[in-house]
Parts: sequence; C-alpha cells; structure tokens
Amino acid sequence: MLGLVAAATPGASAASGHSTFTYDTYTQVMTSWDPSTDYSNEIIAMQEMYETLTRYDSQTKQVTPLLATSWSSSDGGKTWTFQLRHGVTFHTGRPLTAAAAAASINRTIKLNQGAAYIWGAVSSVTAPSTYTLVIHCKYASPIDLISSSDYGAYIFDTQAAPAAGLAKWFAAGHDAGTGPYTVESNTPNAEVALTLKAFTKYWGGWSGNHFTQVAFRVTPEASTAAQLVDQGQVSFVEQLTPQLWKAQVGQSSVQTTSNPSWQNLITFFNTSSGPMANENFRKAVSTAIDYKGIVAALQGGVVRTPGIIPAGLVGYDASAPEYGLSMTKAKSYLKASGYSGKKESLTLTYTQGDADEQLAAQLIQSELAPLGLTVKVEALQWATQWAKAQAKSPSARQDIFLMYWWPDYADPFSWFTNLYLGEATPYFNLSYYNNKTVNAQIGRVEATLAVSKSAGAALYDTIQNEIYQDAPTTTLWTVKYQRVLTAGIKGYQDNPAYPNVVFVYNLKP
Amino acid sequence: MTRYALRRVGLSIIVVSGVMVLTFLISHVIPADPAVNWAGPHASASQIARARVILGLNRPVWSQILHYFSGILSGNWGISIRTHRSVLSDLMQAVPASLELVGAAIAIAVVVGIPLGLVSARYAVKFPDHFVRLFAVIGVSMPAFWLALILQLVFSRDLHWFPTAGEYNPVLAYAHPIPHITGIPLIDGLLRWDWPLVTSSLQHLVLPACVVASYPVGVVTRMVRAKVLEVSEETHSQMIRSLGFSERALLGRFSLRLAWSPVVQVLALVFAYSLANTFLVEAVFDWPGLGNYAAQSIETLDVPAIAGVTLFVAMVYVILNLLVDLAQALFDPRVLIS
Amino acid sequence: MLSAGVITVGALVLIAVFAPLLAPFPGDASVATHPFSVLQAPTWLHPFGTDEVGRDILSRVMYGARISPLIAVAVLLIATVVGVPLGLVAGYFGGVLDDVIMRVTDIFLAVPALLLALALSSVLTPTIGSTIAAISVTWWPWYARLVRGEAASIRGRRYIESCRALGIPRWRILWRHVLPNATTPVLVQMSLDFGTVILTASALSFLGLGVQDPSPDWGLMVSEGQAYFLTNWWLVTFPGLAILITALAFNILGDGLRDRLDPRHRMFQ
Repeated sequence: MLGLVAAATPGASAASGHSTFTYDTYTQVMTSWDPSTDYSNEIIAMQEMYETLTRYDSQTKQVTPLLATSWSSSDGGKTWTFQLRHGVTFHTGRPLTAAAAAASINRTIKLNQGAAYIWGAVSSVTAPSTYTLVIHCKYASPIDLISSSDYGAYIFDTQAAPAAGLAKWFAAGHDAGTGPYTVESNTPNAEVALTLKAFTKYWGGWSGNHFTQVAFRVTPEASTAAQLVDQGQVSFVEQLTPQLWKAQVGQSSVQTTSNPSWQNLITFFNTSSGPMANENFRKAVSTAIDYKGIVAALQGGVVRTPGIIPAGLVGYDASAPEYGLSMTKAKSYLKASGYSGKKESLTLTYTQGDADEQLAAQLIQSELAPLGLTVKVEALQWATQWAKAQAKSPSARQDIFLMYWWPDYADPFSWFTNLYLGEATPYFNLSYYNNKTVNAQIGRVEATLAVSKSAGAALYDTIQNEIYQDAPTTTLWTVKYQRVLTAGIKGYQDNPAYPNVVFVYNLKP
Repeated sequence: MTRYALRRVGLSIIVVSGVMVLTFLISHVIPADPAVNWAGPHASASQIARARVILGLNRPVWSQILHYFSGILSGNWGISIRTHRSVLSDLMQAVPASLELVGAAIAIAVVVGIPLGLVSARYAVKFPDHFVRLFAVIGVSMPAFWLALILQLVFSRDLHWFPTAGEYNPVLAYAHPIPHITGIPLIDGLLRWDWPLVTSSLQHLVLPACVVASYPVGVVTRMVRAKVLEVSEETHSQMIRSLGFSERALLGRFSLRLAWSPVVQVLALVFAYSLANTFLVEAVFDWPGLGNYAAQSIETLDVPAIAGVTLFVAMVYVILNLLVDLAQALFDPRVLIS
Repeated sequence: MLSAGVITVGALVLIAVFAPLLAPFPGDASVATHPFSVLQAPTWLHPFGTDEVGRDILSRVMYGARISPLIAVAVLLIATVVGVPLGLVAGYFGGVLDDVIMRVTDIFLAVPALLLALALSSVLTPTIGSTIAAISVTWWPWYARLVRGEAASIRGRRYIESCRALGIPRWRILWRHVLPNATTPVLVQMSLDFGTVILTASALSFLGLGVQDPSPDWGLMVSEGQAYFLTNWWLVTFPGLAILITALAFNILGDGLRDRLDPRHRMFQ
C-alpha cells in the first residue's frame, strides 16, 4: 500500500554537494527582468543574479566593498572614484571592466525608469582606465551610498545583446549580472516559478559550504507557506501573518527572526480636492485614528513610529511630534474646518491582497464613523490604485491612499524626494502636497548631509516638523520583518536596506 | 446519422461563436484602464500609451471584434496582463493539472456514487436510503471553498495525513528530472515507473479531488437512484421479477445498463461544472491548474486571461456535449428522430 | 425530510428578520470594530469568537442570514421575469423566433453558470447589485428553456386549437391557458435553484466579487478568515457552516416540494 504519510525531506537533496534553498514568496516573482528598470518584488531574485558596486551593512551602518574594492571622493563630494575588483566575470562570459560598469549605469540613467532617480545628481560616468570608474555630480551627493541601492544600481553587461534589443533580451528571461547565481529555469505560472543555479565562475569562489541552487516558490496563502516550512519543503518564508509566525516560534524544525525594517505604511490625504483639502479636516482625521489600536490589532507584526523616518536611519527622531488618538480634539478640528455636518463620503484605496492594509482600512473606516464620516474602502490592484491616484482631474482621485514606502538606499531622502516634493504631475507624491518651503529644504538636504551628518539630521528634523504642521499624511506603522527559516540554515541576517532579500551565497546549509 | 451529426456540429459552431461574442463583450467592457495594468506599476505615461496600442484599444469596436475573432481562430488569444505571456500558452500549461484533478474527482464520483445510488435504490424508503440521500444532498449543498479549507485544516494541519498544497513535492525535482510527457505528473510517473513521483502525486491529489468530488458524488448518487427506481418500476422489470430473478439481479444486471446513458450525460455536464468549481478549490490547495490561473486572473483583473479561461471551458463543454450526443445517437437511434 | 427543511428554513427566516434583537453585538454587523479584542477564541461572551478586527462572529452570522436569501430571491425573480416570457413566446410561436431564442439560451448555457457569473462580476464594480445582476444573467436561460418546453407541448393540445378557432387573441391564450400550466415546473425549479444560487453567490463573494466589507456576507467572511484560519479556525468554520446549512435546508425543501408537486419525479415516498 502506498504510504500516505506526508514524509518530506528538507530542502537538501541526497546528491552530494547539491543543496537547494527554496524561497517562499506570496506574489509573482519576476515582474521585470531588466536590471535598469525593475522596481518590484523581483528584487528577491535580482539580488542573487546581480551585484552593485557597494553594499550597505546595516549592522555596522557602513558601506562595504562589493564590485568596487575601494573608493574616494573629492571636490567636496562632487567627484567619486571607484577602484573595481579584478577577475570578475559576467554571466555572459565577458569580464567586468570600468567601461562595462559605466555603460550599465549610463543605460539606467538614460532609460530613466524605476529607481533611476537615485542617480539624479550625476552629470557623467567615465572609465579613465580598465578598473577605474569616475562619477561626476552636479552637486555633492553620497554616491558610495547610492551605488549600494537595492534598485537601479546593478552592474551588468550591456553587450549581452545589441543595444536596441537589450530590453527584449532581458524580458525573455535572461540575466547578465555578476552575482553568485544565474537563471536556470523560468516557469512563471508554476509553483516553483524560478530556479537559479550557482555561477561556477563567481569571483567569490565556491569553497566551503554553499547552496548550489536557489528556487522561488509562490504560495499566495500564508497558511500554506507556514505548513511548507514546517515540513521542510521550503527553506525560507518571506511573510506570514503575525499569528502564524507566533505559532512557529519555538518549533524545533524552524528558526524564527523578527527585525525592525525601514518599511512604513503611510496614509496620504488628498490635499488637492475634496474635504481633505482643508488642513483642519486632515487634522481631525489624523486625531480620530486609533494608532495604538491598529498596532495592537496586528499582534506584534508592526511597531509605531513617530514622524516619517523609521528607526535606524539618519534623521530618525524618537521625539518627533505626532498625532495621537483624541476624539475631543478630532471633533474640534472638524468644527474648525467648517464641516457642515452633511454626510461626507471619503474614498480610501489600498493594495488588494495585503491583509495588513486591509486591516488598517477596516479600522480607519470604523474609527471615522463616529465623526459622521463614511469611508468607502476600495481594494485595488496596485496598478489600478496608482492610476486612480494619478488621474488628471483631482476630483477623480481618492481621498485617502495607503501605501508602503521604503528607501532605495540607506538614507531618508527617498521619502522626501518621492513623497513630499511638489510635483506638476503626481507620481508618488500622492497627497499632492506642495509646500514651497519644504520643497526648497528637500532640495538642499542631500548636499547638507553629504557635508555634515549633524546638519543634515537637523534639517531632516525641520522638514518633518513642517510636514507635521500641514498634516498631509500620517504614518500608521513600521513593519517588523518576521521570517521563518528551516532550523539548520546558518548565517541569516535580515538587512533592511535590501528588503526581503536573502543573500543565499552567505548562508550555510 | 450524418445529417444529425452535421446539424449538431453546426449548432456547436454557432454556440461557440456566440460565446466568443460574450467573452469579447466581457473583455472590452472594462472599468479599470487595461493599458495601465499591462504597463505595470511605476510605468511612465509613454509606456501606458504604447500599451494602449499593443492592446488595440485605440481602434473602433467593430475592428476590435474582427481582430478578436481572427485572433482566436489563429491561436492568438491575447496576452495575459499579469504574466505577459500568451493566454493560450498559459492555458495549455494549466490544463493538465485541472484534467488530473477533475478526472480524479469524476473517478471518485463514479466509484462512490454508483454503488451508493444502487444501495439507496435497493433499500428505498428504508434507513440506508435516507442516510444515502442525506449524504447526497449534503454533497450538492456543500460550499466547495469551505470544504477545501476544513479538509486542509483537519487532514493536513492537524492529522498530518496528507500534504497541504501543490501537485507533488517539488523537492523531487532536485533529485532527478520530472518526466514530462502528458504534463500530468501522476500519469507521467506511471508511464516512466517513477514511483516516488506517483506516490507524491497521489498524496497531493487526495484532498483536492475529494473536495471537487463532493458535488458530482451527490449528483451521481441521486441520478442513479432515480433512474434505477424508474426503470425497476417498468413492465419489463416486473416481467423479470416474475421470472424469478432476485431484486439484486434485477438492479445489477438489468437496470444498471439502462440507467447508464443518462448517467453518462450527467457526467459530461458535471465535468464542466466541476471544471468551474475548481476555481474555488485550486486556490486553497495551490493546485497549478485552470482554476488557480483563473482565480489569480480575477484578483489582478487580468481580463484577457479571464475571457480566455471562460472561452476555453465553454469550448470544452460544447465539445463534450457534442461527443455525448453523437455517442448517444450511435447507440440509441431513437434520438435521431427528435 | 420535507418537514426538516421547512423547520430549518423557517428558523433561518426568523433569525434574519429578528437579527437586531437576537444578535448580542448588532453594531459589529456594520462599522464597529474592537482592535484590542481581535481574534479571540469562542467563549461565552463571543460564542463564535471574534474576527480579525474584533467583531463578534455570531452577530455577523446572524445578520448574514439577511443577505444570501435576499440575493437568491432577487436572482430568481429576475430570471423568471426575463426567462418565462421569452420561453412562452419561443415555445408557443415556434419558428424563427423559437430558433433564435433557443440559440441564445444555448450560448449562455454553454458556459457553466459559476464561470460566466465570475467573468461578468470581475468586470463590474463589486456590490450586492452586481452579484445579483451577474448571476441573473446566467440563470434566466434555464427558465426560458423550461417554459419553452412546456409551452411547445401545450400548443399542440386540442383545446388550444379550439381556442384559436374561437378567435381568442393569442396573448390571452398565453396568459390564461399556457402560462398556468408552466407555473408548476417553474415553481419547482425555483425551489430547487434556491440553494444553488446561494452557493453561487457565496462563491462570488468568496472571490471578492460580491458585497464588500463591512457587510456580514458569509462567503466574504470565509474569504477574510482564510489568512487566519490555521491559527484561528473559528473565522472560517461558522460562516461556512451557515452557508452549508442554508443551502442544505433549501435543497431539502426544494426536493420535498418537487416530490409533492411534480408527479414525474415521484421519489417513492
């Protein structure tokens, strides 16, 4: 009789020296294959296939060498010179040279999509010698930090295909990186959507104990993922519900980690039209939300952060002013706003599929009801949600927009330049906030920071205060990355600078 | 016979064309802007405009319909907004898994439903009959998605008898390559004597197949009972009784054969219904079939894919019905008269 | 069995009607939430536990009894209002009209009901209205077919011919002679369909295509509880059980009615 017990061997197989790391994610892995323009979940795979010049170590809070072995800045932070590592080969077979590196950065800048904005200060990228890369900037900019960015900073072989067809070549499921793993099989609709195999010519070498294969498995249901890791069928689960994670703590077959991240959930109020255009109205809504309650409802999966910048980044201020729950204040703000008392319906949009955002939406809807405000909650696909927020006519847009944000490199600039800088056509500034003082301050802050850390931190404080006064947004929480791995794996560090990325090469099976 | 066959085939073609019009209407009556979905998140305005052209949204409606029809006939069922691949190839990839699931469910329905129906008819009105009838009506009243969750909770999580999700254990693929002949792991494993694969496939198949089988089992049981009782009341059955054959012989040897035809018809109907029912079950069990594909397409508002799945299942249904009608005409010429 | 069906359906109707009085936390069926008491296991205070935003599940299940039968009634009403006249006309007049109407119903019937309803709902904004509309569109062909069969068979009867010979206008014949004969099968079919429509509607809301939060629709509750059900089983179990029991009760009732009313389907009582 066939054995019907679900016996399962752990992620390693019997063949000698061969071991597979299975990464379990909840949504489609590769939404884009292009290292210049990708900006989504594919980061979990791209960071295995591609590398950047430098990498940010969140433990030491330092930028560490990767494809660049050393660097220096001159001219007041406007010129950066990188010495590249020798003996690095692209997966296409060609060697890494400064010319190749310059070509990849220039392509990213030219295409100007995804995270290309991080190179906004750059005026030119040149390769004076085979292994020397020079980057000139229009104003002082922390290029060493920027080149460690999680998106838009990959160094790849632009000659993998003729220039006009390079985008298509990537889209067909090829990779041209220098990383430890390269694409083996790509089956987007299958359970195991993607497998990568070890790149034998990787500059780091393969001595010692390494995983030789990385597989990405997609399980949309968290409950399924929990059972898979319990049974050893996957090595790492990206995200579970707080309840499921708690149930895993203490199980002998798994190890659990919980680390604060730099990912926060921001509520954007429509300052351009509708009732939210009124500052007192926004303050009324901000003080009607039960922040402590929302965090409690998530049962340990999130923490409350004052202000906009999460802990661990420069400019974080634990004593930043924040709005707290106060129904009396809310009612008085509401009166001050001149609210007539008629039934006002607010539209709230969030990204469908995210259970935590759904929870926040339900709670906000319930908490605004006592003020006489009806909230219509719409769960939309991200693309749809975003399109609605960018509608040409301001009245077609939503009143409240929920969105996660996290930095591209270890610096709070990403929040301010993307979310709070005035925009002629809305992109990510989805409260449509436009404050000339704040705009000017944001324009200065990176240069200030590059010169003096304390001056930069102080300026960030000022900006946060200014924004607090206008209340165009409110921050609900900062995510805690709660991961589950199979027990035997050693060496896992959760690096918030590379959200959800597991540097598999550094793990020991 | 040929005239009948031609008429039926002609009818089927009309019906399929009508369904194509339906799916065209559905895929072009879209609230959200499909071009934005296609271009993806973080897309620029020019990329969205280009997507509009690719999707043909800038053409007049009649031109779109013609384009749609000619596309379907030539194998171009559109590009999935979510996976960015041809819908037809997505469907072809997903079909074997659904076939495996629905096939197993129908097999369970036949193996369990027919004996139950016979028992119910044999002991009509007495306790076993009531018990079986209750069981059958629960089967057709069962919300499939709920049963899937409950079974998963009890048999997989609590009792650890069966695995939670998937078609087979993907870890097997690392040890040695999975044979890929039909695309159905169970059959491929049998064809290649790959026993670990066969075992794993069967383990993973049990729970989802049981859930999908709940409705067919109910239907088959009730149908067999009704038909057998109907037949056993007829004059020829009374004659058989008067000749001294036992009730058991009557039910087994004589009535069942006559009850067969409507049961086969019902199975074809049930097959199509179950194919649609898998939408609810496959998502829970992570089964990589049409249902999962459809569920994910619905979630992402991937309209070309939704339209493609609808059209595909409708075509399967029409072809099945056509085959059943033709087979019936072959065996029972009375059909040709109507 | 009929009596068991009647009693259960009666209980459901009572619960639906008197939900505001019976439910311990009626506010939880609309916008109230209690973030500090989320995901509590069943206790005396909350016999069915609380959900992910702290709402009492028993109260929500009770209020949910209002939604599913309402949808079923609306759907079947629309299906008959659209399908019966079309079927009458097709069956009685025959000819091209009959062919056209039958082909149209063939097309709709070629797609399994759930699938067509899913496809339609996915392109409409999800509300209770869109659910009713989507399911009605897929349901009317059955009734048209049913009535057409009855009308076609009645048309051939002698007394109809005599009516025509007497010069009675056609619409009158349809209304007074054909329609009443078609009523019984239609009623029987409606009672049989009730349970299936409820299952279809809950499947639609399970996939997020029906009523939205905070409406206490059972299918929606199962869907929302899915993420939590391995650690908090009560979120999924009770609403799903409610769906099962409701569909079961209506199906048993329908079976019983059919046994009583339709001599062709006597089930050997």
